Amino acid sequence: MGLSDMVPDRFKVAYPKLQSFRQPNIVTTTADFVFSWARSNSVFPFTYGLACCAIEMMSAGFARWDVARFGMEVFRPTPRQCDLMIVSGTVNEKMAPVLKRLYDQMAEPKWVISMGACATSGGPFYDGYNVVNGVDKVVPVDVYIPGCPPRPEALFQGLLELQGKIAAYSFTPVLPGARPVKEG
Amino acid sequence: MGLEVGTLKVTMDEIAADLARDFAGDLEDVRIQEPDTIVARLAREKLKDVARRLKAHEDLAYETLNFVAAVDLGAQLESVYHVYSWRTNTWIELHVPVPRAKAEVDTVTDVWPAADWHEREAWDMMGIRYLGHPDLRRILLKDDFVGHPLRKDYVDLAENHPHV
Amino acid sequence: MSDFFLTAEAEPDEAVKLALRRIDEAQAAGQGSDVEGLRLNEVVVNMGPQHPSTHGVLRLVVTLDGELIKDVIPVVGYLHRCKEKLAEKRTYFQYIPILDRTEYVAGMNCEWAYVMTVEKLTGIRPTRRAEFIRVIVGELSRIASHLVAVGTFTADLAPLGTAMAFYTFRDRELILDLLEEVSGGRMMYNYLRFGGVRYDLPSGWVEQCRDVMKRMPKLIDEYASLVDDNAIFLQRTVGKGVISQQDVVDYGITGPNARASGVELDLRRTRPYSVYPELDFEVCTAQHGDVFDRYRVRMDEMRQSVRIIEQCLDMLPRGPVQSGSLRAPYVVTPPPGSCYVGQENPRGEYGTYIVSDGSRYPYRLKYRDPCFCNLQLFPKLLRGNKIADAVSISGSMDLVLGGIDR
Ligand code: SF4
Repeated sequence: MGLSDMVPDRFKVAYPKLQSFRQPNIVTTTADFVFSWARSNSVFPFTYGLACCAIEMMSAGFARWDVARFGMEVFRPTPRQCDLMIVSGTVNEKMAPVLKRLYDQMAEPKWVISMGACATSGGPFYDGYNVVNGVDKVVPVDVYIPGCPPRPEALFQGLLELQGKIAAYSFTPVLPGARPVKEG
Repeated sequence: MGLEVGTLKVTMDEIAADLARDFAGDLEDVRIQEPDTIVARLAREKLKDVARRLKAHEDLAYETLNFVAAVDLGAQLESVYHVYSWRTNTWIELHVPVPRAKAEVDTVTDVWPAADWHEREAWDMMGIRYLGHPDLRRILLKDDFVGHPLRKDYVDLAENHPHV
Repeated sequence: MSDFFLTAEAEPDEAVKLALRRIDEAQAAGQGSDVEGLRLNEVVVNMGPQHPSTHGVLRLVVTLDGELIKDVIPVVGYLHRCKEKLAEKRTYFQYIPILDRTEYVAGMNCEWAYVMTVEKLTGIRPTRRAEFIRVIVGELSRIASHLVAVGTFTADLAPLGTAMAFYTFRDRELILDLLEEVSGGRMMYNYLRFGGVRYDLPSGWVEQCRDVMKRMPKLIDEYASLVDDNAIFLQRTVGKGVISQQDVVDYGITGPNARASGVELDLRRTRPYSVYPELDFEVCTAQHGDVFDRYRVRMDEMRQSVRIIEQCLDMLPRGPVQSGSLRAPYVVTPPPGSCYVGQENPRGEYGTYIVSDGSRYPYRLKYRDPCFCNLQLFPKLLRGNKIADAVSISGSMDLVLGGIDR
């Protein structure tokens, strides 16, 4: 199964076919395709382990699961070198400003995955006095992964969904499913 | 020298008798909770003094504070100290009632250094002010949190939820 | 534009202010800069809450003089999830899953501590087979937890990179497979019940477990051979961050951290619970209490856990896994009263103090968490060390923030 099969239908974009000419080393395609293809296969996640889900995120990076198979293994500890924030755990009121700040420090284009029930909606602690019910109250989220904790496979599916989303990303913000490019 | 556990072999009854003798008038309601804990009540004015003497007691030597729990009993608050004696390998649980209106009690950080963070937590969660504590700040909640959430009458305030 | 550039500087928070105040005080007392005319040669550095080697969301406000650590102020609470308050709104039975999420690396042991407290309050007694199963899953969980601890700790020390973590996490999966088969979850088990356990062991599990246990000692030797005589590893660990026995007494340090200082404090022996008195194992200790000893105690403990599990598999009796009726008691109403039961977690004494008012909900539930107590010692332990050693010392303490922050 190739990557293009992973792209959900609604994100599918009809790219012009690759065309090669007589002379060697000349291939034409759209800039969108090249950049999206490169981006979706070189995502740099941010090591932002918050809670229990972070342990599953770590397992996903190590032997047996091995996130490197999807071109996402280069976890970076500083937000300035990353373009994907995996929020793996509960966000509370004390952490929320920090999270926002780290998100702001990441360079565009950037994506956020909300991993686990806590980051999505507060999870088992939804009624606590100090819990932010979902990280989407603080930063925009691209992919939600359910589970408590999601198994590494679930994380991978989330990552593949995200790759599909990035692959459909365009410089012109008119295509279906594409997020408008932020001014800045 | 190795720090040994349970070098002094005594039964719980003997410990209770010892405590009743040496702390007559201080510890009230001394009872044994099987298998190895003594539970006692204590007035808050006497806490510091009794803590010192419990630690310095030549047989029992309650040297290590395990934790401090603050409990809201409705009419009053309670600060519970759980202390370990290495020599006898037993525990003592001191219940110190604290009135709700004036929730203050002496710190025991100078007796048992481990009390530091536990008292900060009790202040954070239950609003018991430990007099003489070197650094009584909030510990788990953010600095500008309003209220003490583990009290039974705590209501969730909107200002504690800027992110809804 | 303003979204991207952080222009507005935030007001320093209480911890940073405190660090600055302490510098000023030291200066006023004449212990400040030793260079004439230089007002400050100390800088305040903020480590965390997002830092790759604090293993979670621990934040340290470190005052540095050059490379030397002058002062440390740990700031916790970035993972405070109100677990103690939530206990008041959930029945005793509904609360079991939350326990998995306190010290999420060793969920089984945490559940066990809570279940034991409730059992003591209500007087329910688990069946004998259930006790053995609990010991088995508890020790499996201990091995898994130590594997994470040792793996991440060595990953923090530069010479190895993540080499050892790859091995330990690979083999942790073997144990998680076993636990998954009995309980259905990889990390969050929700397996223990008042008076027993949720499911009996599946068929073939005992043999499978024996297999893994047979391989385990060899695997542990393999990890040890990676680092035990690595010169850089030894240089960075031996003699660093020494915990004295007086510290153990003063601060209530428990678990491997205390045992590395030569204190034979192991609740499985000193306050025996379950079937531990019938089992034959050693309490692993070391003499110096430094970073290396703490690492070695963990390695030894894994070997002992293997021994315990093998014995339990041999002794495993037949019978029901749940006392009373086959269904676990979903509604328990302990009589009014309070009680604390401590239990030997992979990190030390973990226990819950429960006050009951006779209803179906705990009136007050308080955790005694080993990491919370161990972390208190941090400022004392780090003072005078190099900043690079802060990472190895914090790794060797094996902190889990889910437990500290509750
Ligand atoms: S979703 Fe579950 S596993 Fe993940 S952080 Fe929340 S409680 Fe932990």
